[in-house]
Amino acid sequence: MKISKILALLALIVTIMSCENDEPQPEEFGTFQLYFDNKVGASELTLSEPGSTNYNYETTNGEKFNLSRFGYYVSKIKLEGPNGELYEDEVSVSASESKGYYQILESVASSHNVMLENVPAGSYSKVTFTIGVAEDGVQEGALGGVLDPAKGAWFWNWNAGYIGMAIEGTAENSAQQYVDWGNGTETKEKTFAVHVGGWKDVTDNENFVNNVRTRTLDFGTTVSVSEELSPNAHVVTDVLKLLDGVNIDFSSTYSVHAPKAGKPFADQLANAFVVHHVHQSSNGHGH
Amino acid sequence: MVINRVMKKCLAIGWVLFSLWSCGGGADEKPGEVLAFVKPEHFPEPTYTFQNNPITAEGFELGKKLFFDPILSRDKSVSCNNCHQQSRAFADTPLHPTSVGVDNRFGIRNAPSIANMAFMKEFFWDGAVTHLDFVPINAIESDVEMDESLENVVKKLNASEAYRTKFKTAFGTEEATAPYLLHALSQFTAMMISADSKYDKYLQGQEELTANESRGLALFEQKCSSCHAGVLFTDQSYRNNGISSDFGDKGRGLITEDEADEGKFKVPSLRNAGITAPYMHNAKFSTLEEVLEHYGNGMVDSPTLDPSFKNGEVVVGIPMTKEEQGDIIEFIHTLTDYTFISDERFRNNE
Repeated sequence: MKISKILALLALIVTIMSCENDEPQPEEFGTFQLYFDNKVGASELTLSEPGSTNYNYETTNGEKFNLSRFGYYVSKIKLEGPNGELYEDEVSVSASESKGYYQILESVASSHNVMLENVPAGSYSKVTFTIGVAEDGVQEGALGGVLDPAKGAWFWNWNAGYIGMAIEGTAENSAQQYVDWGNGTETKEKTFAVHVGGWKDVTDNENFVNNVRTRTLDFGTTVSVSEELSPNAHVVTDVLKLLDGVNIDFSSTYSVHAPKAGKPFADQLANAFVVHHVHQSSNGHGH
Repeated sequence: MVINRVMKKCLAIGWVLFSLWSCGGGADEKPGEVLAFVKPEHFPEPTYTFQNNPITAEGFELGKKLFFDPILSRDKSVSCNNCHQQSRAFADTPLHPTSVGVDNRFGIRNAPSIANMAFMKEFFWDGAVTHLDFVPINAIESDVEMDESLENVVKKLNASEAYRTKFKTAFGTEEATAPYLLHALSQFTAMMISADSKYDKYLQGQEELTANESRGLALFEQKCSSCHAGVLFTDQSYRNNGISSDFGDKGRGLITEDEADEGKFKVPSLRNAGITAPYMHNAKFSTLEEVLEHYGNGMVDSPTLDPSFKNGEVVVGIPMTKEEQGDIIEFIHTLTDYTFISDERFRNNE
């Protein structure tokens, strides 16, 4: 290609790009709130101390347990509407922040609310999000915010990546023995820990599995966003669906720390998240 | 070919200009000191995410200070440099066949050279880590290496006014944080390019190989380069090269939890192998002669032994005469990069 042609092409591209900037921008924006409500079946999730033998929950198979930690990463949130409305939450990562990544922790009430800002006015009927930290996030390298490994991020040193979901507690049938790690940390008897991680598939190696999942949840109705209208979607995350879904037997499944072992749980994530209801306005919802 | 070279140069210059330009708002460059990552022409594209962590003089200097500072370890006794020494192309000294950590704890593996990490896809003998930024975490948190938590390292750095100032100068951040600590270390280590050995000069038509070295190169290409491939001298795969049939260290199998991967370790780069004794993940051999003899006649069979060393059920290794082994060793010595091991930029000058 001659240089003149390249220049002409470049000029064309620049023109097109500048044309795009001239397109009319939607003049109205609002906010949309996602509220993550973690539950165990019909019950509210109440955290217990690790090792506590007060088992306040039971699986369908009769496995008695409690929970001491529950949480997960959510990212790449997208809202869509019936008329082509589309909002994609900005993902912007650096050593100082991980914008667009959220760590929903049962123990931190403020983390249950995800406020989406600058949502174009319009109707919305479904939400899509990713559970876990996908390859494109891991391979950015060291990041700040909720992915900072020194500030509570669930980073896996070995098989490096992030734990997408953590379920920890104590179960009557857990075979976990007491372990004193010698450095001031201990693992209490009968506890269990399910860490769902793993972000890549490797050909011919079933032990490397990608346990990151993307879910789309229908509202079953539409809600409107405008300068005055700030809707709220109440997402219920049901731990029991995960545990029942894998028919958990705590006598054999009490220490899950590898991608392959976490896969059955990842495969249940589709069932564990539902939009329970939506509010047209978040004012007065009481969360 | 000529056009290609010119274009590559233009791209390299463009990169430098871009780096300079993109740093314009941040720290000032020291006059006369241009610090940019420049890919050697004959190297592949780097894997490192420079777009997230552009190299600056201040970031590099901070990374260098951290690399040589035992503050990273629990009792301030072990620095990165303890096991990665410039005179050994940043591998460990032969006095430490496997790493020595805090309280003189022994590691289980030989610390390899960390040259050319900006071009690698995965790190450590078992490939546990897929991004250069995360590499130091394993050394810091290993109980046989630095036995410290990343969180506490950050705390210690913030307790030092000198470090707080350096983090601010390098990254504009008010406090030291783990991502910036890791970025600084990556800036220092990503710059550790070893591409100026006699062999590189030979490739560029600047130096001739001796007759023995030439024969060694031909033999190497015939017998070794299917694994020690390309200019990095590794295909970055994981293989069992017959060191042992007892997998006390499962290697790649630790990461994949797959029996089929037990006893497999990353094919190491052979750049600077002449000065990085001892050899193999467990430091089994102390000379290149022993290594070549192993490939020739010493392989131990096991279920995961690499098929390239077998003919059907028979372990054949790499058949070589003593003379051929000697020639290959002479060639391997042409991979020693004296420019790299004497590069002032990587020297501890505090």
